[in-house]
Amino acid sequence: MGIYLDNAATTRVDPAVASEVERVRRSAEGNASSIHQHGVNAAKHIEKARNIIAGSINAEAEEIVFTSGGTESNNTVLKGVVSLSSNEKKHIVISAIEHPSIIETARWLEEAGISVTYVSVDRDGFVSASDVEKALTAETVLVSIMHANNETGTIEPIKDIGRACTERGVLFHADACQSYTKIPLDVKEQNVDFITLNAHKIHGPKGVGALYVRKGVKIAPLLHGGEQEATLRSGTYNTEGIAGFGKAVEIAHTDDVKKMTELRDWFSKELSENIEGVLLNGPDTQRLSNIINLRIRSVDGNRLAAELDRRAISVGRGSSCSSSKSTPSHVLLALGMDSKEAEESIRISLNKWTRKKELGIVVKNMIEIVTELRMV
Amino acid sequence: MDSCQPDEKLDLAGVPCPQNSARTLIKLEGMDSGAMLEVIIDDGEPVKNVPPSVEEEGHRVVEKVRTGDRWKILIRRREE
Repeated sequence: MGIYLDNAATTRVDPAVASEVERVRRSAEGNASSIHQHGVNAAKHIEKARNIIAGSINAEAEEIVFTSGGTESNNTVLKGVVSLSSNEKKHIVISAIEHPSIIETARWLEEAGISVTYVSVDRDGFVSASDVEKALTAETVLVSIMHANNETGTIEPIKDIGRACTERGVLFHADACQSYTKIPLDVKEQNVDFITLNAHKIHGPKGVGALYVRKGVKIAPLLHGGEQEATLRSGTYNTEGIAGFGKAVEIAHTDDVKKMTELRDWFSKELSENIEGVLLNGPDTQRLSNIINLRIRSVDGNRLAAELDRRAISVGRGSSCSSSKSTPSHVLLALGMDSKEAEESIRISLNKWTRKKELGIVVKNMIEIVTELRMV
Repeated sequence: MDSCQPDEKLDLAGVPCPQNSARTLIKLEGMDSGAMLEVIIDDGEPVKNVPPSVEEEGHRVVEKVRTGDRWKILIRRREE
C-alpha cells in the first residue's frame, strides 16, 4: 500500500473506530431524535460520544454541538456570531494563516459589508497576542485564531489571545482541527468561547465534527430545520459517525504524541544531514508532533511530491486543500517566503502507526530524487 | 419503603427528548446496582417520556415530584 505521510490532510480510520461505527450502524436503526425506544437507543450513542468529547476539553456535555466537520463548525461560528451581533458596524479578526474554511468565510462576509482584519504572523507562523489586541476595535464581535496551523504545525498562543479577547468583551474562537488530542485543550483555562473539532484527523470517520459553544453564548445556526442540537444544528444525526468520533477520542493516547515527536525530530535530522539545503518551515519548538514542513533549495516541491508519489510515498504539497491549485500556499507566503521559496516546500505529516523504518525508506528516496532533480 | 436519598443527581432541565432519556440511561449504567439517581426534567413531553424509557430498561421509578414547571424523578438502578 505504500507509505502514507499526509496525515494532516486526513488519517486512516482506527480499526477500533471502524468496529464501533459498524456495531452502531447495525444496531442503532432509530432516528436519534425520535422519542420511541429505538430513538432513545440511537440517542444513547450520541450522548456517550458527547460525554467523551466534552470531557476531553473540560467542557459540559451540553456545550458540544455535533456538525459535519471542521468546515461546517468554522462557518457556523463566523456567520452565526456576525448575524446575531447587534453592532451596527461589525468587525472580525482572523490571522493570515487560517484554514480556507475561515479565510473564505471571512472574505464572503467582507463582501456583505463586514470589516475583517487579517493579523500577520512572524517567520515561524506565530500570531502575537498583542497584535490581536491592537486589532480590536469597539466594533469587533469575534476573533478567530487556529490552535495549531495545518501546514507548519505552529502552535498558537490561544490562551493569551483568549485572555485579551475576554478582557475586551470580544468572543474568541479557536479552530483546533489539527491539534485536537495532540496538545491539551481546556476550555476553562484557555479563555475560549468556541472550539472547532473534527474526527477524521484523529483516526475517526470523515464527515463528523463538533463545535464547542460556551454555555450562555448566543449564536445563530447555519442550518435550519428540525432543531436538533438545541436548535444550533438541524439535520438527522449521523449516529454511527458520531459514535466513531467518540471512540477515536477515547482511544487517543499521549504516548502516540511522544512517539511521533521523536520520529519527527529524527526524520528532520536525517534529511538535514543527508540533503544539502534543507530548511524547516515553522518553529523548532511549539510545533505539532506530527507535522514537518520542509523547503529544499532548488527543488520544486510539486515535482518532488510527484516523484515520491510514483514510488508510492504520499506527502502533502502545500496544504491538502490547495494541492489542486497552482498558487503557492498562503500560509508559507504569510511566513514571509516568496513564491519560489514556497514552491520549494512540501509537508510531511506522521500518524501514530508511522515507523522509523518507513521514514528511513522515505529519506533514501528523497536523497535519490533530490539528486536527480538538481541534475536536470 | 425506599430510601429517597439520591446517590447521584442529574439536572436535565431544558434538555429535550430523547436526549434526556439517553443521558439518564447512560448515567444509570455507570452507577452501582440498586443505587438511587435523582433527575430533574421539564414538564410536558420529558415527564411523559423519561420515566417509561428508564422502566423499559429495567430501572424503577421510585418517586415523581413536581416543582413548578420541572419534575424531580427518583430512579433506583436495576440490580445486575
